[in-house]
Amino acid sequence: MKNNIFKCLNMALITVAATFIFTCCENKSKDTVPPQITEATFLPADCDIYYLGDTLLVHFDCSDDTELGNYNIEIHNNFDHHTHGTSDVDCDEVEGEEHHHEEGEEHEHEHEHVEGAWVYNQDFAIERGKKAATIDLAIPVSEDVKEGDYHFMLRLTDRAGWQAIKAVPIHLKTPSI
Amino acid sequence: MNVTIVLSAVLLSVNSAEPIDTALLHLDEVTITASHQHTNPISSQNTISVDADYLLSEIPVSLAKGLDGIAGVQASSIGSGQSKPAIRGLGFNRLAIIHDGIRHEGQQWGDDHGLEIDRFAINHIEIVKGASALLYGSDAIGGAMLLSSYGKPKRTFGGSACVFTQTNNLLFGVSARLEGYKEIQRDKVQSTKEWFYWRVNATYQDYADYAVPTDSFEYYSYRIPLYKRTLRNTAGREADGSLTFGYTKGNWHTCLRVYETWAKSGFFANAHGLEVRLSAIDYDRSRRDIDLPRQEVNHLKVLWHTAYSHDHWGIEVNAAWQHNLRREESEPVSHGYMPTPPNSLERQFSKHTATLNATARWHVAPRHTLRFGLQNELQHNRRSGWGFIIPDFEQYRVGAFAGEEWRINTSWTLHAGVRYDFAHTTIHPYNDWYKTPVGDTAVYMARSEAIDRDFHSFTWSAGMRYAAHGWDVRANIGKAFRTPIPKELGADGINYHIFRYEAGNADLQPEESYQADMSVSWENHFVRIQVDPFVGYFPNYIYLTPTADYREGLQLYRYTQAQVIRTGAEAMVSVRPWQYLDINLQGEYLFARQLSGDKAGYGLPFSPPWRLMPELKFHWDPMVKMSKWLGYAGVNVRVCGAQYDIVPPEKPTNGWWTLNLSAGQQFVLTSCTLHLTLKAENILNTKYYDHTSYYRLIDLPEAGWNLSAMLSVDF
Repeated sequence: MKNNIFKCLNMALITVAATFIFTCCENKSKDTVPPQITEATFLPADCDIYYLGDTLLVHFDCSDDTELGNYNIEIHNNFDHHTHGTSDVDCDEVEGEEHHHEEGEEHEHEHEHVEGAWVYNQDFAIERGKKAATIDLAIPVSEDVKEGDYHFMLRLTDRAGWQAIKAVPIHLKTPSI
Repeated sequence: MNVTIVLSAVLLSVNSAEPIDTALLHLDEVTITASHQHTNPISSQNTISVDADYLLSEIPVSLAKGLDGIAGVQASSIGSGQSKPAIRGLGFNRLAIIHDGIRHEGQQWGDDHGLEIDRFAINHIEIVKGASALLYGSDAIGGAMLLSSYGKPKRTFGGSACVFTQTNNLLFGVSARLEGYKEIQRDKVQSTKEWFYWRVNATYQDYADYAVPTDSFEYYSYRIPLYKRTLRNTAGREADGSLTFGYTKGNWHTCLRVYETWAKSGFFANAHGLEVRLSAIDYDRSRRDIDLPRQEVNHLKVLWHTAYSHDHWGIEVNAAWQHNLRREESEPVSHGYMPTPPNSLERQFSKHTATLNATARWHVAPRHTLRFGLQNELQHNRRSGWGFIIPDFEQYRVGAFAGEEWRINTSWTLHAGVRYDFAHTTIHPYNDWYKTPVGDTAVYMARSEAIDRDFHSFTWSAGMRYAAHGWDVRANIGKAFRTPIPKELGADGINYHIFRYEAGNADLQPEESYQADMSVSWENHFVRIQVDPFVGYFPNYIYLTPTADYREGLQLYRYTQAQVIRTGAEAMVSVRPWQYLDINLQGEYLFARQLSGDKAGYGLPFSPPWRLMPELKFHWDPMVKMSKWLGYAGVNVRVCGAQYDIVPPEKPTNGWWTLNLSAGQQFVLTSCTLHLTLKAENILNTKYYDHTSYYRLIDLPEAGWNLSAMLSVDF
């Protein structure tokens, strides 16, 4: 007799829980897709060369299934030739530069904050309510920074907080007179 | 047995009198060698009892990892083999760790260090599944883990020693315990005996870089190769020691305990720091060295315990002082507007905690027991170093509770209680030590505002238990709470482990939850079945949510509060078809939903997926207690479901299963007893991702195959 009471209690608890789940929780749609950055039209392109004192032109198309958030652009030196998951390209073929980068080889890594290396880090906002946007920017490259390999990084969020990252290796050169 | 004695014994955890609860025969025998000693006095609560033998057979270095094989208990890996415990997916500040009657401070601070407790000094663990705020206050919103050190020694002089090793991170360790007592009988007429006892514990372990079955991983879009499939700079060392002096006379028991744990370990060099860069340090020259970045953790605790236990009343007083000193060192590197710092001390936290608890029990009528308690805690934290994440703060907490247990008859028990808590938190302002240009001027940016907050919480709980005819049914309903921690209120800075900007919220309210849980079990000599369902509703769950914004170049995460519902169940079946064979099957399932806020419709981060844990265990000589050849051999499979119910920035995780073996053998010699324990985990070397692991976010798989062995001697 008592056993039945407990079975009933247990069933009741499970039913209450199940009701909660199916009535109040499943009717909200949620964004599970990160924003997209269109590869084909993206500028700068892999291994593009820019001259100091020049302007770096940025162009990209982005979209999200729900609503775009904001973006950040960061440029840091790639003197140590690390690679990014979104871009495995290593622009070793730039003229006048030689890189020895063999597996397991002992080599001194240059440090991130190399004197005179260019550091650029800027946050940008996208107008609220947009599902797609085309961004064009012109970033002036100072004449006073060190030439060499750099990474251009774009970070883009959507309203839900998903983030997409695109990294592009670029090269800065002193203009030849 | 007289009900009165059982109750009074159960109600106070006086070390000298180990209470035996005869009504709970075979209660917790599913996976664990049951010890019927009960630290948690509320009998309607769903508790799992774990004794030292179980912990010793679960060799993993981390205490939390050893409990991971229990349905409803998870270990969240926090990297390099360390892990933190969680009950039904709630850990960190939602789980109270009560060590010898005192709330253990320290484990909840950071994301990357263990419990700071010497597991070899722990004799017994009781896990309270479900909210237990009534007795343990704030943080017990998800449950409580009650850790008890060894009590009064059983022999006038004795001890034990063990050596242990594991292959994954080339760990080796030693631990030893010496103990004894002296009996004094001053008055031959009254025959009141006095006992003095003492104990010394010491443990040391040393481990190399942690191995994972992968050649590279992706961290924050960077592709990083691994050298010889090990995580660079995750080696470490740990030394623990503790001392106990005790005295008992009649119903009195008093003891002084001193515990010290020290640990020094490297942070995974590729997943820590201001920039994801290769350092000039040659991390790959040795697997055992500890380079920068690294941490050094010191935890000192001094505890004084006094109890008087009588049939009709009892009182217990615990006073403790704890000091947490944690230093994080990394290479001084300029970042943004911060110039190169003068030294490697990135962060230091020095936290003092003073605790004074008193509990009284009064057996008012033959079947009624009242219990009262008053708990005080004062915390004082000071930071230093060039990095900022947790501000200086002081926090005072006081809680008072009263409860009644009514033993209606031998099979029915009811309990009900109320509790009131007050907390005052003072957070000190903090400004950067370097200037940041704002418009035309440069300022020392404010990272933390002065915050002065009072928190009040009124909570209650009620429960019932029925135990008879092979049935054990427990049901509880109650309200629990958690005071926001200073990090949630006042953090404002970059989290270098996860590369995000974290902003605290000074307006957070105490997190509350309303929970109902049940435990239904039935057993006979052949089979035991148990089902533990639960449901909980949080009107204001504190949650770190990713936003669409950037701050100082990193994605901004903000502490916010949202309505959350959580439900789930654990189920356990164990069958003994033959006296030499045990077949166990455990499973767990958890579901969580945010009902409000900008993440409404999502689950919660690090939600454990369903798990199924079948086990086959063969015992020899199970019936012969004093047999010289007590031993076992077992095989178990851990099956874990996929987790697609994710929250940004999580990735969906596929399901996985691993095959594990274990064996143990006891050898009784004339002067001592030897125990040999062997364990082989993930013997198929399966590469899998654990959704609850902190390294899941950076695509690091869990450990591959691992062999561990321990040899211990009791004398």
